[in-house]
Amino acid sequence: MNIVVLDPAHGGIDLGARGTEGIHESDVVQQFAAQVRRALEGLGFQVIQTRDGNENPSFDDRSARANAQRGAIFITLHIASTGLAGTVRTYVLPETVSVRDPSGLIPWDQAQAPFVPLSRKLGDLVQTEFAKRFKGSPDTAQTAPVRQLRTTAAPAIAVEISSVSVEERADLDRMIPGVAEAIAHGVAAFRPSYVVPAMPGTPLAAQP
Amino acid sequence: MSAKWRVWLGGILLAAVIGAALYFPALRRQVEKARNLTEKTAEQARRELLPPVPVNSGEPRVKAKMFWGSAANDGTLMPVTVELPLSSDPTLRAKEILNTLLAGPVDPEARTLPPDAALLGFYILPDGTAVADFSETLASSIPSGIQSEQLAVDSIIRTLQANVPKVERLKILIHGQEVDTLAGHVDLTQTFQVNRLGSEPTRPGVSDVLTAPIKKAIEKVKGATKRQ
Repeated sequence: MNIVVLDPAHGGIDLGARGTEGIHESDVVQQFAAQVRRALEGLGFQVIQTRDGNENPSFDDRSARANAQRGAIFITLHIASTGLAGTVRTYVLPETVSVRDPSGLIPWDQAQAPFVPLSRKLGDLVQTEFAKRFKGSPDTAQTAPVRQLRTTAAPAIAVEISSVSVEERADLDRMIPGVAEAIAHGVAAFRPSYVVPAMPGTPLAAQP
Repeated sequence: MSAKWRVWLGGILLAAVIGAALYFPALRRQVEKARNLTEKTAEQARRELLPPVPVNSGEPRVKAKMFWGSAANDGTLMPVTVELPLSSDPTLRAKEILNTLLAGPVDPEARTLPPDAALLGFYILPDGTAVADFSETLASSIPSGIQSEQLAVDSIIRTLQANVPKVERLKILIHGQEVDTLAGHVDLTQTFQVNRLGSEPTRPGVSDVLTAPIKKAIEKVKGATKRQ
């Protein structure tokens, strides 16, 4: 595993969460993504972003960037409207029944199902790093049916930072280095344990 | 002008002043009253258009457990017990429960659903799957974010779970339509597990394998929504 697909959420006409002083989620997540990218590249990871500018790819297009890679992980970045300011939460999909069609293929809309245990591990490692840096953040990853994660065939987590409701934009900017460092450390800790689940046509699981 | 006319003119002016002094406060009260009436929100007006949920006053008041946000604003839910005259009919009971949840707690900060959202319809299928149809404002007025959307859905699920055992799974529609997400994050294409009564667990993406009765119920909801 050497590829991280980084997804700054929203974009284009979809501004995402909107806060005081004209803070837009779609704009702020790009700044977070830029720093997370630098931190990951500093540890030797190759980073692919789902958007570099103000575009708004569909959920499926964003997932496709990760699904086209073998052995990648996927991180979608969000800023919340609510929540305790200065905290960060990591979300993974709940455990789901993995269904394959008669040919052994996993349906696109259930692509995440075989990866949920790995996503949980990645999420917990990243959330542990957040808890060290941002007081009031949970110790472990939370589960939520996040749409973006469902179609992603890779260990996938959603990171949500609270919030656009801060008094000043500078409060969010101060969180950027800590968030970047936490994600990079969590991903680096996850790398040795990443074994790609066996897929149709592959008799054994591929080793990292 | 003769003295006589001056007296008449003075008298008329005095009468006008006295009349105005008496009339204007009454007029102002009427204007205030009219303004209060027209200041009703669009939501109030829309609520009046919706068919009222019949409350069976013959039913005894029972303790219902509602799940609203915790005062700590930490993204968790807190059970609050309220006394309600609840119907024994599961569908009516679910409507009454959800309308109470939508009405919100005493502390507006603990709300999990937007104040202007409304329940447009609720059906329970024979297999225990329920379909809840909410107004567009549930999606458009909820604060965008994973945490806030998850809290909204969880409050609906846990409140139904605590009060309507007949509901095993829940499908959420917005204005009669299946939607991808609530407000950009939480997946609404799935059905949510409410009460486990021996049925198979739900999973995301279940919309692709929706059974015929569920599809039929969704069509029924769509039809009902169009008629409103």
